[in-house]
Amino acid sequence: MAKANRITLAGHVQGVGFRPFVYRLAHEYALTGYVQNRLGQVDVVACGDVESLERFRDELISRAPPLARPVIRNCNEVDADGYDAFEIVASEADEDADIFVPADNFMCDDCRKELHDPDDRRYRYPFINCTQCGPRYTLIEALPYDRPNTSMASFELCADCRREYSDAANRRFHAEPVACPDCGPAVSRPIEDVVAELRDGKVVAVKGIGGYHLVCDARNEQAVASLRARKHRPDKPLAVMFPSLDTVHEYVGPTDAETELIASPGRPIVLATVRDDCALAPNVAPGLAEIGVFLPYSPLHELLLADFGGPLVATSGNISGEPVLTSNDEADRRLANVADTFLHHDRPIVRPADDPVYRRIAGEVRPIRIGRGCAPLEIELPRAQVEPVLAVGGHMKGTVALSWDQRVVVSPHIGEMDSPRSLAVFEQLVADLQSLYGVEATRIACDAHPGYTTHRWARQQNLPVETIWHHEAHASAAAAECGGEGAWLAFTWDGVGLGDDGALWGGEGLLGRPGSWQRVSSLRSFRLPGGDRAGREPWRSAAALHWECGRSWDACPDQDGLAQAAWRNGLNSPQTSAAGRLFDAASALICGSLVTSFEAQGPMFLEALCRGAGNAITVPLVECDDGVLRSDWEPLLDMLSDSSRDRVQRAEEFHSSCAQMILDQAVAVGERQAFDHIVLCGGVFQNRVLADQAVDLLRKRGFDVRIPVRLPSNDAALSFGQAAHVAGA
Amino acid sequence: MEDTHVSLAHGNGGRFMRELIVEVFARHLGDMDLDVEADAAPIELSARDVLITTDGFTVQPLEFPGGNIGSLAIHGTTNDLAVSGARPMYLTLNAFIEEGFELERLDRIVASLAKAAREAGVTIKAGDTKVVRRGEGGGIYLATTGVGERLPGVVPAIGNIRDGDSILVSGSVGDHGTAVMLAREEFGLRGDLKSDAGPVMPLTEALLDLDGLRFMRDPTRGGIASVAHEISRVTGFGIRFFANVPVKPQVESVCDMLGYDPYYLACEGRVVAVIAPEQAEEAVARWRALPEGQDADIIGRVSAAEQRVILETELGGERFLEELEDDPLPRIC
Repeated sequence: MAKANRITLAGHVQGVGFRPFVYRLAHEYALTGYVQNRLGQVDVVACGDVESLERFRDELISRAPPLARPVIRNCNEVDADGYDAFEIVASEADEDADIFVPADNFMCDDCRKELHDPDDRRYRYPFINCTQCGPRYTLIEALPYDRPNTSMASFELCADCRREYSDAANRRFHAEPVACPDCGPAVSRPIEDVVAELRDGKVVAVKGIGGYHLVCDARNEQAVASLRARKHRPDKPLAVMFPSLDTVHEYVGPTDAETELIASPGRPIVLATVRDDCALAPNVAPGLAEIGVFLPYSPLHELLLADFGGPLVATSGNISGEPVLTSNDEADRRLANVADTFLHHDRPIVRPADDPVYRRIAGEVRPIRIGRGCAPLEIELPRAQVEPVLAVGGHMKGTVALSWDQRVVVSPHIGEMDSPRSLAVFEQLVADLQSLYGVEATRIACDAHPGYTTHRWARQQNLPVETIWHHEAHASAAAAECGGEGAWLAFTWDGVGLGDDGALWGGEGLLGRPGSWQRVSSLRSFRLPGGDRAGREPWRSAAALHWECGRSWDACPDQDGLAQAAWRNGLNSPQTSAAGRLFDAASALICGSLVTSFEAQGPMFLEALCRGAGNAITVPLVECDDGVLRSDWEPLLDMLSDSSRDRVQRAEEFHSSCAQMILDQAVAVGERQAFDHIVLCGGVFQNRVLADQAVDLLRKRGFDVRIPVRLPSNDAALSFGQAAHVAGA
Repeated sequence: MEDTHVSLAHGNGGRFMRELIVEVFARHLGDMDLDVEADAAPIELSARDVLITTDGFTVQPLEFPGGNIGSLAIHGTTNDLAVSGARPMYLTLNAFIEEGFELERLDRIVASLAKAAREAGVTIKAGDTKVVRRGEGGGIYLATTGVGERLPGVVPAIGNIRDGDSILVSGSVGDHGTAVMLAREEFGLRGDLKSDAGPVMPLTEALLDLDGLRFMRDPTRGGIASVAHEISRVTGFGIRFFANVPVKPQVESVCDMLGYDPYYLACEGRVVAVIAPEQAEEAVARWRALPEGQDADIIGRVSAAEQRVILETELGGERFLEELEDDPLPRIC
């Protein structure tokens, strides 16, 4: 006897080919009924015999498409009458439901076969895709995820594509961005021409999925040098895209976990160790032992790389610090002096998604930047919040997060927040996140620093604003992501952020839980001459340490004593306890990195010198009047400045001494107050040498130590941390 | 007068005070028709619009390369009248002197004040002197009130500014702020950088007959960034500065070393003008023909689309120039 079930499925079920799958499954079991997209969930009504229905229900989960992650929210019996076939009915857009915005993914194996099949009508078509692959986040304008709500709306389907799109048995059934050479987007000129230019050492701006890349031959030192000169990026490492995993292995030696991530559908950039015989141009990542590698992440890149037949530098097409460029006109205008030529296409990018970057730290491959392929990133909170909160993040490596109920959705990397384009993208994402998820924030959380662009922006909105101390947001982010009951000791080591005493923190141990922290440990503070300038000029930190201890420093670039005079009188010389500045000082003293061209360049060189652990110098840990334990770095100064000693040894000793400081602080805090877990967060812990040793020392002492693995430990985590902080408080 | 330092008696209304006024102030200002005996002085004004302004001066150090608090007290007030489209005519002067102040130094300051007044074509019609107890003043404070007549031509006002207008500056920015900073004790006078302090009347008068002239301002405290913020706040328009804002190499290198932004540093002899774009070139040419306008340039434009103050960088980037904080805290490091 026929029965009917109404099954409601939620989770990742949109933009992943879930409805066609349901359709095919229903036909397999000869069921009647329908499947329908509703806002963020899928409704299925299926009629048939009891046994078939049962297996259908099970296989909805067990055989779901690879990108889908469905959960059955509801299943109940309904009237079986009135269904003579199984069909897909039009989406409904008017109901409340959990919405999941799908991410952009690389081409699936089926599409790849067609791309390379001379007999296929999509042979070498750069925009081939199906329900299992292709762009999503960067082309969705509104939900539900249907073609008219995407940037494909203006491309009228040809008869062939329409047939595939409407055929429930087809892989492209309701593949919203479906296209072919006859009806879909096109590149602005032949890929063959671009390949010839690249062989010729030219720099080409190539439009991709989430924005433009600047591309050049990674084995041509001259080409790389001209890209660097024109982009005003003298030293910062450049990412390299390889035609295949095999070629990746010719240049770098990724671990198994790194290899797996490189080949994953998100196709992120993964930092991997350079092989001794690496034949890339030496100026791709000067002074570093790692290179960011990735594989083609779209059919366009697949064709470009296959035709070129070798590695290509592929760095974000942007002006330093700004979000990656997405529009043809703006790229033409703003990259005119950087690129020799352009490869545009006419599928609009609705919002930017820069390439995500991962690095192996303390045994796991962890994100340094989130972007295309993992955006929007979602993290669940342990309990539901009282109201929807918009968390606007920090000032550098900006991201924005929207949180409601137990959900927090984090945007991809935006950029440094002091440029008009960063703010424009930020404002777009603020609006988009709320409209896509149908959630309107009633409160804003921002960093307490009054000079941050995001803080000023928050104050201009007509919503209540909650300000959160920089390092408390870091700690809340890390503890909330790692999860677990009990009290945390969070080591928040980074560049600088404003602390509750008006000083610039950055070497803090915070005890508590998301929403409630108490500073228990720190570093001896010092005054930083020239304020913000110290971020790119490590000599300032080195000089400050000397002056603080009443010493002079012969190599100081402040030859006429101007900076020292200002420092002595407190002119633009704020107090800081930032570990990042300590690392800057060490890099200036050991590597001679006095002035650098990008943030953390000196510490990255310093880390790259290390071969293993060194002898840790134990430094005094003093309990100060305010009850905070402070490590005094002064005993390190002699070792750091001793230029008669080997640089490698000194670099190793410095890292090991810092790891030892963390252990000593943890032990001393533990003697005074109880805690259950330790978490390491803040940009300094992207330093693998430090993080590996600190984790090792702490674990050997029996501590439960974590490091975030879903969000970067740098300021990109602040937006989530602010949301978690508000939710926890 | 036999004393070498100012004492409280110099402020008590008696003989000492009379001597101080006669021998220091009147000696330098006497030719300006300053009647030290009268309680009030008559001034003559034509029938045109009359403008009045006032300003206090507390600069430290009191003397710096290119000027001192005396000349500054003239330039500050007369320049405010000038950028409003007026010709400064009369000033009043208040001096608050700290007990123990060197008379020789006072004499230098007043001499410099008198010279600046003569150059600016203003007469000081009334004045007052007070002596405050030791430790209660920074050596000397001055206050001047100025009266001027509006000149024929455009009436510059912030409300005239339109989308797309050009922004001009008459010379390099940040000279005064940097020179004063370097003159402070802790730096012990280094470099040959001079303050730009001086009268701006020739600059302002040169533009008044251009009907596209909208607004002028002397970028004193807070520099050109603060002028831009004021325009933006009042008009609702954004301001976009180009990468060519003139900055002297010495100013640039001091700012680099100390971590300051020259766009926020004070000028005391520069004019920022907002003018219709089609007359901008003409205005720059007129300024460049004057000795005080050699480095004049078009440095930006008004942009209704942006509503913020933006600086274009030489590298093709753009960054916000945020409104000056009381105590700017490092954001990125």
